[in-house]
Amino acid sequence: MERSLTYRAAVYLLISLIGFAALAPSVATWFGKEDAIPGWYKKRFDRKIQLGLDLQGGLHIVYKVDVDKAVSHRADRLATEVEERLRKEKKVSNIKVSRAGNDEVVVHFNDAAEMKKLDREFEKSLRHDAFVDNRDDKHNDVTLKINSDLIDEMREYAVSQGVLTIRDRVDKMAVSEPNIMRKGADIIVELPGLKPEDFERVKRQIGRTAQLEFKIVDDGADYMKTLSGFALAEKDKYPGLDVGHDFWTQKDNQKTHTDVYLKAKDRKLIEKFIAELPDEHKIPADHEIGYEQEVERDDLGNPTQDQYWRTYYLHRRAELTGEYIEDSDWNVDPQTLRPEVSLKFDRKGGDLFEKVSGDNVGAKMAIILDERIESAPVLEGKIGGGRARITLGGAGSQDALKQEAVELVQVLKTGALPAPLAWKSENQVGPTLGRDAIDKAKFSMIVGSLAVIFFMLIYYRASGFIADAAMVLNIVFLLAILACAQATLTLPGIAGVVLTVGMAVDANIIIYERIREELRAGKSPRGAVEAGFGKAFWTVFDAHVTNLVAGVILFSYGTGPVRGFAVTLIAGIICNLFTSVWVSRVMFDFMVSRKKATLSI
Amino acid sequence: MQKFFEIIKPDHNFEFIGRQRFFIGMSIFLILVSIAMLPINHFWRGAALNYSIEFRGGTEMTVEFSEPQKPEVISGKIREAMAAGGFKDTEVVPVQGNDRSYLLRFAAVSPVSADAAKKLEATLRDKFGGEDGLRKFEESEGGDKLYFRFGRAVSTEDVGAVLKAQGIHYDAINQFGRTEDNQMEVVLVGLNGEVTRALDAKLGQGAVKSIPSYDSVGSQAGEELRNNGVKSLLLAIVVILIYIAIRFDFRYGPGTVVALLHDAFLVMGAFALTYKEFSLTTVAAILTVIGYSMNDTIVVFDRIRENVARYRDKKLDRVVNSSINETLSRTILTSATVFFVTLAMNIWGTGSIREFAFAMNVGVIVGTYSSIFIASPILIWLNERFYKPQGTVRAKPALPGA
Repeated sequence: MERSLTYRAAVYLLISLIGFAALAPSVATWFGKEDAIPGWYKKRFDRKIQLGLDLQGGLHIVYKVDVDKAVSHRADRLATEVEERLRKEKKVSNIKVSRAGNDEVVVHFNDAAEMKKLDREFEKSLRHDAFVDNRDDKHNDVTLKINSDLIDEMREYAVSQGVLTIRDRVDKMAVSEPNIMRKGADIIVELPGLKPEDFERVKRQIGRTAQLEFKIVDDGADYMKTLSGFALAEKDKYPGLDVGHDFWTQKDNQKTHTDVYLKAKDRKLIEKFIAELPDEHKIPADHEIGYEQEVERDDLGNPTQDQYWRTYYLHRRAELTGEYIEDSDWNVDPQTLRPEVSLKFDRKGGDLFEKVSGDNVGAKMAIILDERIESAPVLEGKIGGGRARITLGGAGSQDALKQEAVELVQVLKTGALPAPLAWKSENQVGPTLGRDAIDKAKFSMIVGSLAVIFFMLIYYRASGFIADAAMVLNIVFLLAILACAQATLTLPGIAGVVLTVGMAVDANIIIYERIREELRAGKSPRGAVEAGFGKAFWTVFDAHVTNLVAGVILFSYGTGPVRGFAVTLIAGIICNLFTSVWVSRVMFDFMVSRKKATLSI
Repeated sequence: MQKFFEIIKPDHNFEFIGRQRFFIGMSIFLILVSIAMLPINHFWRGAALNYSIEFRGGTEMTVEFSEPQKPEVISGKIREAMAAGGFKDTEVVPVQGNDRSYLLRFAAVSPVSADAAKKLEATLRDKFGGEDGLRKFEESEGGDKLYFRFGRAVSTEDVGAVLKAQGIHYDAINQFGRTEDNQMEVVLVGLNGEVTRALDAKLGQGAVKSIPSYDSVGSQAGEELRNNGVKSLLLAIVVILIYIAIRFDFRYGPGTVVALLHDAFLVMGAFALTYKEFSLTTVAAILTVIGYSMNDTIVVFDRIRENVARYRDKKLDRVVNSSINETLSRTILTSATVFFVTLAMNIWGTGSIREFAFAMNVGVIVGTYSSIFIASPILIWLNERFYKPQGTVRAKPALPGA
């Protein structure tokens, strides 16, 4: 009996010490004394409670993944594919392929006999993507519909990839402790601690429909010559704007090319110039301007510290996009020592790439990521095998370039957003609002807790002290668990802690009242403690389980702050059972262990 | 014998069960009032419950002015300025303890109003060649983006010029998807920028110091949240019923469930009556109340089960009555501690904390009440009706219980 008491006391003491230790870094941070904690300590207990959006300000956005748009794009592609294959493989010429609804493609045959050519076999070859939904013999229409399995697949893919993509992007922006979650078909982005002035910038980055595109460069076009002439004439109006020339020789036929481009230190300056072009110099509708950042070289061709932006005059049509990329990796080119990113296309992409590179030998192909040209290599011949390499352009140290290569591979592997994101709801909180709320919440928490502590002391005296000690331990454990789980403490979360204070003593009251009954029935203090704890246990247990049920359901229902509340509630209930039933039992056993023990209750 | 500090002496014996008709009648009356308040509110105050932005969709924005303002003067001006800026029916609420800050609530979640969007669509159609020119015109759910799809190549600059001419402010116009699809998205200037503009236009440049926070919820999200709220409440009740049925005995189940529903209705009724804001936090509070209300019911039921096993020859209603009396002091004490803690939050807390604490205050009272006056009578009634006509309960071998 006595030995078991010592053992139990030792175990609980150890657990309590671990609890305090785990909590120390969080407490130090709250009081701004993070540096006071020695390094060896931080290594072991580095986890902290994070303050939620409502406490430190920040941004909370819910995005819906616009799967319909992705499906619609897919149907567009299907239309192109069906048309091409019917023409090429089936030699059907007189057809019109159009889109209907979100997921349908209608093939209209002018010749009823040709309709037979879209047969079972053809449908089978599409099996994975679409099926024949309807054959209208009157109008010679065949309706193809995207497979619903494929739509489900796309939905799943779009959301899970969306989360990864956003996470990558947010990580890139160096926002501290971002929280990106998936909830059904929604993506929730929480950026606590983000400053209000950064809100718009970050939102733009996240919501961007980032795409990798391959476009053919047309810098040798006459238009660029006229435009450069005009740019030189307007130089006074746009200080810093300049014209550059690039002379190069095509390897296969020794043809020389002269590329003309605009350059400036600031990309915005060129953009401004382009935007303000008079009508007669406007860029033709089938072309556009792309931008690349390059390192200024001195007369000997050695790179300098300076960088500038240059334009590329591009065909507007994207020959190939990032959606065909299957895999990506990076390495350092042993000759140039520049990092390279290699791409592997899927079958369709590989075919397209082969065709494009074959058709445009001698032209440059711009590789555009996020509206910025990474590089524009010359196509020296047909490239088969479905592989391509991107030599990273731009300036920067070797390390920075390597870092960029790593990031690029990440983004390429996770891909561009497979479907656009549609904003659903958003909550912006400035830090001052949080400060005020935190102070008031703290005050109400302290007042409420003190009231309970005093009440227990007055009503149950020494036993009340035990209940209070158990309650304090309960809060320490609760916060320690939150710290270890790196949970986020929100304002409702603090309410959850306060509520736990109220509930923590409940279990003690149930036990104490039972002990009093046993004492009234004439039992000895030791016997009364034994019987009281024993009989009250299941009551306390049942009450905790039902509370836990409510907490768990709340957790699965809620988002953001409500979830934070549910987490503290759940952790509080579990700690409570431990402290009020087992830990306070040790203290009681200690109190009644002396021979002529009395019980102050 | 040892003396204790006691609020309720152990030898008391109040009659609870004998007066059950009165209390059940009172509960039915209160529930009817709660339910009746919904349609009454709907016609009198505009909505069945004072739904927060999360539930009804729309925007809630805190605006901080540079100068202190008088609520009675500024409210009208704000509404006028907002209406001129295209935000109809703005609700203006002064923030307590801060004469510079005001809370604005309005239905729009997009800086481009429905009218402006229609006008824009017509202009784009006109300018870029009829039906075949503009194939698709869409607003994103949250209204921070516009999507266009044109039948032919249209430059972003041209579209930008149209937007500018219409007074629509944007951050960027991007092309997306395949180039030959001519799809474009317009990233609009945030709602806060647009509201600042509208207010400054009326109240003078620099009148608005900052917009510390705003919260916009699309109508679809609001509807989902509402449905999920109801679903989670029902789920909680079902799971608790199952747990009670397993741990106790099936006839203890219905009493607890009716008591829980009773509590949920009355808390909702309190919100309908006071027209306090009904938000996600309120739903969270109701769920907490449901979990907590079980605390008292379990204490009473555990004792009933124990006493039923002990006094087999007594009539059930007497056993129940004495069980309630025996557990009365702990029922009151446990409820009191939680009540006072939440009362402190209700008095000194802010915003949603306050609503949460209010719900808990009401919930603790009705929860305690319902475990005595609702759950127990139903247990007796069920027993008489379906189990043993003579009125004694055949006890399950009792687990050691309080």
